[in-house]
Amino acid sequence: MKVELTINRRKGIFEVEPNELLINLLREKIRLTGTKYGCGIGMCGACTVLLDGEPVLACLTLAVDADGGEVETIEGVAREGKLDDLQEAFLEEGAVQCGYCTPGFIMTAKALLNENPSPSEDEIRGYLKGNYCRCTGYVNIIKAVQRAAEKRKRIGKQEI
Amino acid sequence: MNINKVDTHIIPFEFEYHSPESLEETVKLLEKYGSEASILAGGTDLLVNMKKRITEPKHLVNIKKIAELNGIVETPEGVRIGATTKLRSIEKSEMVRERLPVLYEAVRLMGSIQVRNMATIGGNLCNASPAADSAIALLALDAKTDIIGQSGLRSIFLSEFFLGPGKTVLRRGEFLTGLSISSLPEGSGSSFLKVGRTSMDIATINIATFLRLRKGVVENCRIALGAVAPIPLRIFRAEDYLKGKAISKDAVEEAAQIVSEDIKPITDLRATAEYRRDVSKALTRDALTISWERAKGRR
Amino acid sequence: MADHNSFHFLGKKTIRKDGLAKVLGAEKYASDLSIPGMLYARVLKSPFPRARVKSIDVSKSEGMGAVVITFIEMPRIRFCPRLVSTPEATYKDWRVLSGNPLYVGEPIAAVASESEEDAQRALEAIEVDFEVLEPYMNALDSLKGGEGLLHENVVFNEKEIQVENNIACRLEITEGDVQKGFSESDVVIEREFRTNRRYHNQLENKSVLVSPEVDGGVSLWSTSQTIHNTRLLLHEIFGIPVSKIRVHKAALGGSFGSSIQTNTIVPIAVALALKARRPIKLSYTREEDMRDHSSYQMIFRMKLGAKKDGKLQAGELNMIMDIGAHQVQAYPLLGCVVGWWVSLYKLPNLRYVGKAVYTNKVPSCALRGYGNPQTTWATESMMDELAEALGMDPLDLRLKNYIGKGDLFWGQGPTVKSIINSCGVEEILRRGAELIGWENRPKPFAQRGRFRRGIGLGRGYHTSSAGSPIPGTVIDYTGAILKVNEDGTLDYITAMMDQGGGTLDAHAKIISEEIGVPVDNVNVVVADTQTTVYDVNTHASRGVYAGGGVALMVARQVKAKILEFAGRALEAYPHALKIRPDEELGQAVIYAEGLTSKQITLGELASMARVKNWGTIAAVESLRPGSCPPHFTGYFIEVEVDTETGKVKPLKVVAGADIGTVINPDLAAGQIHGGFAMGWSMAILEDTPYSESGDLLNQGMMTDYKTPTTLDLPKLDDFKVFFVETYEPSGPFGAKGIGEGALNPVAGAVANAIYNALGIRFYVLPMTPNMILKALKDRERIK
Repeated sequence: MKVELTINRRKGIFEVEPNELLINLLREKIRLTGTKYGCGIGMCGACTVLLDGEPVLACLTLAVDADGGEVETIEGVAREGKLDDLQEAFLEEGAVQCGYCTPGFIMTAKALLNENPSPSEDEIRGYLKGNYCRCTGYVNIIKAVQRAAEKRKRIGKQEI
Repeated sequence: MNINKVDTHIIPFEFEYHSPESLEETVKLLEKYGSEASILAGGTDLLVNMKKRITEPKHLVNIKKIAELNGIVETPEGVRIGATTKLRSIEKSEMVRERLPVLYEAVRLMGSIQVRNMATIGGNLCNASPAADSAIALLALDAKTDIIGQSGLRSIFLSEFFLGPGKTVLRRGEFLTGLSISSLPEGSGSSFLKVGRTSMDIATINIATFLRLRKGVVENCRIALGAVAPIPLRIFRAEDYLKGKAISKDAVEEAAQIVSEDIKPITDLRATAEYRRDVSKALTRDALTISWERAKGRR
Repeated sequence: MADHNSFHFLGKKTIRKDGLAKVLGAEKYASDLSIPGMLYARVLKSPFPRARVKSIDVSKSEGMGAVVITFIEMPRIRFCPRLVSTPEATYKDWRVLSGNPLYVGEPIAAVASESEEDAQRALEAIEVDFEVLEPYMNALDSLKGGEGLLHENVVFNEKEIQVENNIACRLEITEGDVQKGFSESDVVIEREFRTNRRYHNQLENKSVLVSPEVDGGVSLWSTSQTIHNTRLLLHEIFGIPVSKIRVHKAALGGSFGSSIQTNTIVPIAVALALKARRPIKLSYTREEDMRDHSSYQMIFRMKLGAKKDGKLQAGELNMIMDIGAHQVQAYPLLGCVVGWWVSLYKLPNLRYVGKAVYTNKVPSCALRGYGNPQTTWATESMMDELAEALGMDPLDLRLKNYIGKGDLFWGQGPTVKSIINSCGVEEILRRGAELIGWENRPKPFAQRGRFRRGIGLGRGYHTSSAGSPIPGTVIDYTGAILKVNEDGTLDYITAMMDQGGGTLDAHAKIISEEIGVPVDNVNVVVADTQTTVYDVNTHASRGVYAGGGVALMVARQVKAKILEFAGRALEAYPHALKIRPDEELGQAVIYAEGLTSKQITLGELASMARVKNWGTIAAVESLRPGSCPPHFTGYFIEVEVDTETGKVKPLKVVAGADIGTVINPDLAAGQIHGGFAMGWSMAILEDTPYSESGDLLNQGMMTDYKTPTTLDLPKLDDFKVFFVETYEPSGPFGAKGIGEGALNPVAGAVANAIYNALGIRFYVLPMTPNMILKALKDRERIK
């Protein structure tokens, strides 16, 4: 079957099987391997991508079901060689350890800040609860999201 | 489960994909393929079950292209929610928050933000998990299900919808189109509580209660619990006990006692039956107390 | 002690070098790699915990075009997948594929096809006839041996030895006179403890990509904490010359000990690649990974005796551990458990009996702390009980007995003894107590309401490496290469892996500090076995201490050579020259103080050395640490218990650590944050119970392997981390490790906090709401 997808702002037509998952289309066909497989059943959030701006799980999304949609993966977050505030904040706060959960966290956090530019700590924790991290205890990740939100507020950015 | 058939990297078998755009077309497809077909809505349960090979449909019928199945609209009695409405849309709906606060409370605790962006209310109900948070809240609201099939529409109360784990009253060719729910009336209060191992867990046990008081007397009452029986369960004996009684700490305590006696919990790897029984009492007490407080405040 | 403020780079926050790739999603983990023409592999796993394959028919799957291997055609060799111990401490009972599977999930055969879907279909087409045997699902049954032996014999020190009563190995140690010690004690207590069997739940599942080479060798990328031992093991199994096995580093998506050994799938993928003559990609799914490795479950019987004044007189420890179906490192662990135990508190008389027992469960391996979190949980629980029996403050009892500076220490077991030269235990305990409000903690039996609060203390340590003054039975050394490039940047080439903690960043900073080059100029090379010198493993919290130690050695040599060349270039005496990192130039500048004409950048110097044919400035070294100094940690945890649901909430955490000189402050704190989360989870959530049929009850699904989410841990303001100032004379710039010490005392502190809240002591992990509620009910009933 043919599906039309805009992936990281580039439109493409892809030949897929009905049982093909979005995660495998991204990772195996297009070699966008930043989207990670973690549990395969929607419990860990490592495969989080934005579909039409909302965070969803690529491991539980059929490629055919995403037909016509706009997909953003971690590879599309930096623009013109410049890191997103969240990416910068993750680096600055030491929020990255093994890094395997990082893409999923950044995608979810991006959706959060688009929706709610100044979230409280509780709101951040609530929004990110579906992203699993074994390394950090989440402390520096929460700090990084706060830092990115503060930075955006400082420079008056609403949404990117 | 055959461990050599499970592969959660992929969906390890082929199927035919259908994406009907009308109710009629959907009914036809479901009628035609019967048990070989599965309805795809949010996919967060179905695709997991397919990866685990618990179900291997030969036909997948995606109903998300059918516009009238999606959305939350005002009705004279209250609210109608389409079957493919995402949990996240329900959580974000001002109307739901105002008229059906207990549904809002249940939905916002469900899964992760990602899951709530994908999962639909209809899918959650049709999956017929005994622990479904949304089902518990909707039972407390005495929601009605709207069902379509070849012989047309029918409507039944949600309390009659579930038959067992994964089993509903839906017949061949039938599917759920939505829910009709009355707004919480004046003088009423409701609440939803859940105990899980972590903040992202299927309920070890959950409860939703609804109380309507008139001059301190319980005029109407509904108590529903999850993960304590093969289906999400209304505890009618406790409801009947409270109805017509002056609300009091003792009455609440007695209702909680009845609940703990009438549930039929099992032991699984999440909790023992004994634990569920013990906690059901505390949860009932808490939920009724909160509902009572809220009923006092709600004009 | 060094003046910390005099450091240019150490102790200052820097951006980790691999961070950019990680936030961009560009970092390549083994599971992300691919080679044109590669086949996808799937493994046929035993559905039974104990069985014998009577026959296996692969003709249908071969008919589908799949490449298939079965246990029948594998090399007849038995091996141990972990090559950290010397042969006299290594037991071998593994095969690449098995015809006598001993756990649900044990690989029997494997297939490779053009796609994962094709491979899965081919896998399902394999027909196996099993003789199903009665399994042992717990260690105590296994010891009775009613259903026979799981392994008739195993290979030990290259000889076949018989197995008795399913005991994989045992160790007994006696020091002093225990009988006498107890009889001279005023208080003696004895308790039994049972730990959980945890799963690592590292986010990346085990994965390998193998490419067969034209010369008969292989190149591969795998989830590994040791590229060199992977190479040596493949040589041992397949007989391929070591020089023709090229194991590349690939980023690790967490490991926590689960890839100290070469993972099960690696030799399977190599066997497939050798047969198919095509590259093979084999990535386990989560449900496969969960049936691949777990922690060691331990049953302790511990006895401690003390005088009225709190001085410990004697200790006795009997330990039975359930190691699952195969030995990864059970024997060295028997030594470590006694080591962890006796190096916490001074025991003048002690006796230890440790037994490792085979069962039909997923094989156990190290999980962050290697038995230390388990041992410390039991010991710290005992110390609180002892304090109560003595009428002493638990903190005072610990201060009276802890092993610290000047004491003999053998954390890594009886063959790894050394003297402690740096210790911040007292400061950790005193400052921690002050920060949590120890003096005002609740009385255990004073609370009545539904929600009860408690504060608990747990302290502990872990070794930094497994080094010791004499050889012993643990291999522990690390090599490094450092060279100066023509533009003044440096290539640092090490085989050591970074599990995520920032180990290699610490090395880069140590090199920068020693030489005086900007940290940005030190390039950490993503290398392989052919281009690096040997490193044993990134484990035992040895990355910063041992790896950083050898980084410092090569840096010193390179510095000397830089000064020598600069002396020539500037016509100055090398010993009179200095090096400074010049931020403006982005270069190291070598200069003679006060003489402005006498200076040259490192880039200019290296270029000059090339043009003038002086040669490359480079060094290669290996370091065997002469000790494995403990890094100390202490946790003060405040919890709230809901007596109606049995749920426990962490309200406040104060964590103190002595890690010597702090090199990466944010990453070191990150180790403690993560260590707490893992310890909390160990204390109240994690376990892998088995069904009657011998499979994991959760069937490998994360739905039922619970770990805390963002919402289940303390808020930012309620989590305080502090480092006390110490200097480890044997460490690079005074540094020690942190990775495992960050976790070890947590479960003990949680258990003590729950006791403080409820007055109930729990002897089984995890301390679930079920268990807590039941204990509260039982107490009511007795009343």
